[in-house]
Amino acid sequence: MASFTPYTYFQCPCTDTNLPTRRLGESRPPSSSSETEQEDDRTFDPRAPRANFSLYPLEHLLYCEDCHQIRCPRCVLDEIVTWYCPNCLFEVPSGVIKSEGNRCTRSCFQCPICIAPLSVSSIGAPPEGLGAEYVQPSGPYVLNCAYCMWSSKEIGIQFEKPNGIYAQLSKVKNGGTPIITPKERRKDREERSRDSSVPVVMEEGISEEGEEFVNLDVHEELDAESQFANLKAFYQSQLAEASPASALGFTGGDYGYGSPGALSRIMGLYTGGNFADKRSKSKTGTMREAQDALEGLQLCNTTSDEETITRLRNEGYENTASVAQLKEQTHPAHKHSVDDLRPIAYLLRTKRSQRCKTCRHILSKPESKVQTTRFRIRLVAPSYIPSISIRPLASSQNHLLTPFKPTQFLLTFKNPLFDRVKVSIATPGTTPGRFESRVTVLCPQFEVGANTDAWEEALREGAEREKRRTKAEASEGQLQAEAGKVWERGRNWVSVVVEVVPTSLKADVLMKEEDRGPVREDEDVVEIPVFVRVEWEAEGQGDDTVVGRGEKEVKEKRELAYWCVLGVGRIAQV
Amino acid sequence: MSSKRVSNMPPPPKPPTTLASTLIIAEHASLTGTHLIALGANTAIHPRTKLISTFASITVGSNCIISERSIIGLQSEPENDVEREGLVLEDSVVVETGAVVEARLVGTGTTIEVGARIGKGAVVGKHCKIGPLSEIGEGEEIPDFTVIFGNGMRRIDRSGVENQKLKTIARQVEVLRKLIPSNLAKFQ
Repeated sequence: MASFTPYTYFQCPCTDTNLPTRRLGESRPPSSSSETEQEDDRTFDPRAPRANFSLYPLEHLLYCEDCHQIRCPRCVLDEIVTWYCPNCLFEVPSGVIKSEGNRCTRSCFQCPICIAPLSVSSIGAPPEGLGAEYVQPSGPYVLNCAYCMWSSKEIGIQFEKPNGIYAQLSKVKNGGTPIITPKERRKDREERSRDSSVPVVMEEGISEEGEEFVNLDVHEELDAESQFANLKAFYQSQLAEASPASALGFTGGDYGYGSPGALSRIMGLYTGGNFADKRSKSKTGTMREAQDALEGLQLCNTTSDEETITRLRNEGYENTASVAQLKEQTHPAHKHSVDDLRPIAYLLRTKRSQRCKTCRHILSKPESKVQTTRFRIRLVAPSYIPSISIRPLASSQNHLLTPFKPTQFLLTFKNPLFDRVKVSIATPGTTPGRFESRVTVLCPQFEVGANTDAWEEALREGAEREKRRTKAEASEGQLQAEAGKVWERGRNWVSVVVEVVPTSLKADVLMKEEDRGPVREDEDVVEIPVFVRVEWEAEGQGDDTVVGRGEKEVKEKRELAYWCVLGVGRIAQV
Repeated sequence: MSSKRVSNMPPPPKPPTTLASTLIIAEHASLTGTHLIALGANTAIHPRTKLISTFASITVGSNCIISERSIIGLQSEPENDVEREGLVLEDSVVVETGAVVEARLVGTGTTIEVGARIGKGAVVGKHCKIGPLSEIGEGEEIPDFTVIFGNGMRRIDRSGVENQKLKTIARQVEVLRKLIPSNLAKFQ
């Protein structure tokens, strides 16, 4: 509570339906703060619950050069440029993502215990004799965590080859028993349906079926992936039967369950009326549910639950997987013990480009190569909008604001543009919220110099430089701000003074009865909404027309207006 | 080097030592104290290692590696007779840079990693791994094969590769023998 860092948040106008730019574009003197209040019943309230969603630090914002507007993470569209593995930095084509999923399919794994990267090492006996150190180590191999010393040997998994671990791992269960891959299952399923003359199992045919197929057990315990694969295959075959292909090759016209029309029919189930009813009636009774493990049915047996409980009892806390460990696993629902955990294949990361939602222009585009961190396009707000920094004018030991004691703050506007900008700032006379502190901007209108070369400034004549410093006039030690004057000015920055008279946090200052109550969280922070309007003359954007006319420089007037919130300090609770 | 201030104080008395002939001990290692310091065969002591036997004796087994800026030995008066018996590092113990060991016993094959602290009178079992910057309290007993990692997380290592690790340490000592110029005579 003792320390408070002043902050500045910028409001993205995307949450506002009618933009403040248009409304305040006219020549309204922003100095008259009382007028602001009267005319403007829509003063931005940083304490409104919705304000949280539109306020961002300047660094989080982008700027669209075509719309001339601030863009926040909510009003941009993200597009994935590349997928890559953060461990091996291998770029994964998007086609592979669709078929293989969003994990690295090479040999990159994280430790299931401590998430450190795993390395492949050989556990075979090292060769002995002359020149033994030159011989490549031979298998079997294990995944090994150098940090917590976990090894895949502990879950009974070893590998024959040191590469392609993902493929090898997907074939073994914990303990070393092989997993029947979906491909093998499909083959088996096809074989079965070929053997039996009946294409899909009839009601009474379960026992016979079970005898016919040696490969798969009807009461097999499936893991989540194969159960899903079985169910999917089963329902697909059901769908295919329910809507047999028509002569044209379409499945049953528009009425099949697999058709896109099915969704709209479901959506209209309650509102649509007759059409849906008629169709669904004609379809009743044609589908059945999965009946055995081959079709993806898993009976929930209570003994396994009891087994789990006894296991938890016997093995204790040490061998129980923690929530954090289970969170990283792909199918955590069936895992309880540390022995059930599997190495975590690295989740792929993406590089994204951002587009403006309104004009679809690209605002940010990283280099597609994984190794480079450069951007091709990056229109970030800090290079278009003056940054605002806050600092108390008189440095005091006490970080808290004393009620009713006028405190002055220095706002420094720094111009990133290569043109001079005219800045007008306006604040409401009192801060919004229950506790109204009085706010006065001493110099609401000023001009900030262009962001020219830093050396140019240094090489200029000393006299000119001195003139810029109005502060020098103030006598030493006596810090006194003068209304209507800039406090201090530099090459591309200007400091102005804002005076705040904090209110008391005692309930008796509150006028309305219903407002009374204890101070809520962060209500003691003085947050000042500031409306900033920036005007500058930029070189013409429509380059073609300018060149066509043969004119050299056409200056275009620009303006940008937005709300900011300045958090200046906490009020002392006396 | 000439500008270096030379202390007028007489050098502290050398502690009594029993050093194995195959010991690798750097010249800049510091052995202080009054109790016996026994260092085993094929053990490597890096420069700037501190072995303090002021309060109790220190016994280091063979094939150990004690890295620079680590401190071995009690730093305060022992509180009971068990602690007074002295500090024992068994064979193939690796103490990494900046670690502080005040334990009563550290078992064979244990690695104490960078900046870890082992409290006074603690007993660390065999083949343990004490992760970087982890701390073990005074008088604590760590069972064999414990791995301490992260923010005080513990597990029992069941990978069964301890023999290979011992071989690795032996190989590492052989490399250090070439790298560290040993000056056994200084400490005898």
